[in-house]
Amino acid sequence: MYKYLLQSVEGIQWFGITALLIFFTAFCVAFLRAALSSKEDMQHMANLPFDDNK
Amino acid sequence: MSRIEQFQYDNRITRAFGMASFIWGVVGMLVGIIIALQLIFPVLNATSTGIEFLSFGRLRPLHTNAVIFAFVGNGLFMGIYYSLQRLLRARMFSDRLSWIHFWGWQIVILCAAYTLPMGITTSSEYAELEWPIDILITLVWVVFGINMFGTILKRREDHLYVAIWFYIATWVTVAVLHIVRSLEMPFSAIKSYTMFSGVQDALVQWWYGHNAVAFFLTTPYLGMMYYFLPKAANRPVYSYKLSIIHFWALIFIYIWAGPHHLLYSSMPDWVQSLGTVFSIMLIAPSWGGMLNGLLTLRGAWDRVRQDPVLKFMVVAVTAYGMATFEGPMLSIKSVNAISHFTDWTIAHVHVGALGWNGFLTFGVLYWLWPRMYRTELYSVKLANMHFWIGTLGILFYAVPLYWAGWTQAMMWKQFTPEGTLAWGNFLDTVTQIIPMYAMRVFGGTLFFVGTCLGVYNLVKTAQKGNFLANEDAEAPARQSGKLVMAAGEHWHRWIESRPIQMLLFSTILIAIGGIVQILPMVFIESQVPKIASVKPFTPLELTGRDIYIREGCVGCHSQQIRPFRSETERYGEYSKSGEHIYDRPFLWGSKRTGPDLAREGGKYPDSWHYNHMMDPTTMSPGSIMPAYPAMLDNQLDLSALPDKISALRKLGTPYPKDFEAKAIADAHKQAKKVADNLKSQGVKDEGMENKEIVAIIAYLQRLGTDIKVQKSATQK
Repeated sequence: MYKYLLQSVEGIQWFGITALLIFFTAFCVAFLRAALSSKEDMQHMANLPFDDNK
Repeated sequence: MSRIEQFQYDNRITRAFGMASFIWGVVGMLVGIIIALQLIFPVLNATSTGIEFLSFGRLRPLHTNAVIFAFVGNGLFMGIYYSLQRLLRARMFSDRLSWIHFWGWQIVILCAAYTLPMGITTSSEYAELEWPIDILITLVWVVFGINMFGTILKRREDHLYVAIWFYIATWVTVAVLHIVRSLEMPFSAIKSYTMFSGVQDALVQWWYGHNAVAFFLTTPYLGMMYYFLPKAANRPVYSYKLSIIHFWALIFIYIWAGPHHLLYSSMPDWVQSLGTVFSIMLIAPSWGGMLNGLLTLRGAWDRVRQDPVLKFMVVAVTAYGMATFEGPMLSIKSVNAISHFTDWTIAHVHVGALGWNGFLTFGVLYWLWPRMYRTELYSVKLANMHFWIGTLGILFYAVPLYWAGWTQAMMWKQFTPEGTLAWGNFLDTVTQIIPMYAMRVFGGTLFFVGTCLGVYNLVKTAQKGNFLANEDAEAPARQSGKLVMAAGEHWHRWIESRPIQMLLFSTILIAIGGIVQILPMVFIESQVPKIASVKPFTPLELTGRDIYIREGCVGCHSQQIRPFRSETERYGEYSKSGEHIYDRPFLWGSKRTGPDLAREGGKYPDSWHYNHMMDPTTMSPGSIMPAYPAMLDNQLDLSALPDKISALRKLGTPYPKDFEAKAIADAHKQAKKVADNLKSQGVKDEGMENKEIVAIIAYLQRLGTDIKVQKSATQK
């Protein structure tokens, strides 16, 4: 069924550009997510390996 | 205030995986040295004495599987089982599952160690194991997943450190890769044909193969880097923000890069371009991660001089940086035109395997062993010696092979002023680089000796110490298992503190690349133009093809002529995607230690192949190919043919109705014809029609003949 569904799609050129857009979005989200994090948060996370009762 | 809970970390399972890692490491590297020697001294193949399981073709996949899945596989489980418990402040979810995972994985390795030398292989690189073992791997992986997620769910620490994200991405991606690559139709208790054919199989293979490197050799080791490097340096990671970008960008981009293994092949251009573009983009997250690792040592570089653990880790991270710079460069088409099919690729992967995986494993082992055995390392001096021998070993391994790859590529492409190939005999380009192969053996042996010193050091450390099987720990209980977002906390905490959502989100991200690349190839027929003259293999050719697969011929012979003048002159018309639609599996190969065979059919008389299999040097003096005299003695076994035909028809190969009943008779008829040919060409042996040799000859003589439009002018 999928075969016919995909065959009805005109060309597949949009696959590439869609992929790039998705990547760009994902990268921006990851970047914003990191950039907007508070310093204390980041310090806490970075110190997790040192807080294991050792 | 929540109450403090007492519990214990399980060190036994960490130790078991660690020991398995270095034991299999020694075995895998030893096999590597043996096959490297076979390229210099072909007599070591032992096939001329009738021992078939020691040939290069059968041992090469044993080497790659042993190093990837046994050495590094056990190494990453060691790292995960140790760090996961501590980062989550919890013992593993179930000790029983831990041990089922451990022994299940060792059984998988033992199955590989038996089946691969026996010639039971799918021939798909790094997915050579046949369908019953594939099922076992799936079960073991599910056990590992339940154990890991069970531990995450019962954790005492709300936040998931970045190492754990890498472990989650590893688990889910390897599961997806393994299942899709293992879609196959069994035709016997131990053998199967892959669900995909030709170009589609090639795409699925390198989507899998590349991401086996990405998500088995890289992401879990990055997780380990983010845990063990800060621990060893005794300072937190340089930038946690960078680690976040590193993680999300890396897992998303990596999954797209597979087609860079198929540049200039008959894969559609748009797929190749996607592979190139995403491979180049990979530099950014990879180097972000590498720099994050190295900069973690800011202010502690003086300790690197004294501490062998840090030395190993620094070289490991540097090797990661070198390999992840080189990888994107090799994905540029003009560079790939030179590097592909040569030893350059072999050098590249060994910088990654020996430097990144090998040295990080040793660094972690040297850090863990004294802690788990509550003692000092037996000998720091010996560890330093291991470090230097190993580092020199990597250099002596890689540099000669870069040289060899470049030399051979230049020789393949060189033309005389008259316009003919300067090195028309492929063998000349092989004998030229034998000295480099010898230097590679020296480098590999150095690395191996270093490993043995390391194992000795660890054993002595264990002997003088006292093993702490269960390590006491305490942590506040987690309140109702739910994370309450405090004012000012960011939304990202929502996903990064919820493992199941994290799992789903990672799955979606890694699935996008696979779906966009693979679905159109599999479902849109116009992507693989059919060629009317291309017909399915005859039963005898099919039998010969399966012998070709059994012997691992694809390890040295490609079947993919790229559209370069230097290749069409040497081999004939370049390969078309429509020629391979009945190839299950595809056999394009990724290395040319011998010449391409895509248009081998009709190039030489049957008797040439007969003599060449008996002793390659009689036809090509100086050849380093193993001799296969056993093919002249082994009885031709056609009994599986009806099941093979039936399985292939179910997968879409258009064999006529009820062809199963005629297949064996058809094969005998063609075998008789080949045997008669041999006789008329002067081969005196009797009963050849019942020997394996006629099947392999029938297959080789078929190759590329469906659309053979011109005779290659120059070969040999």
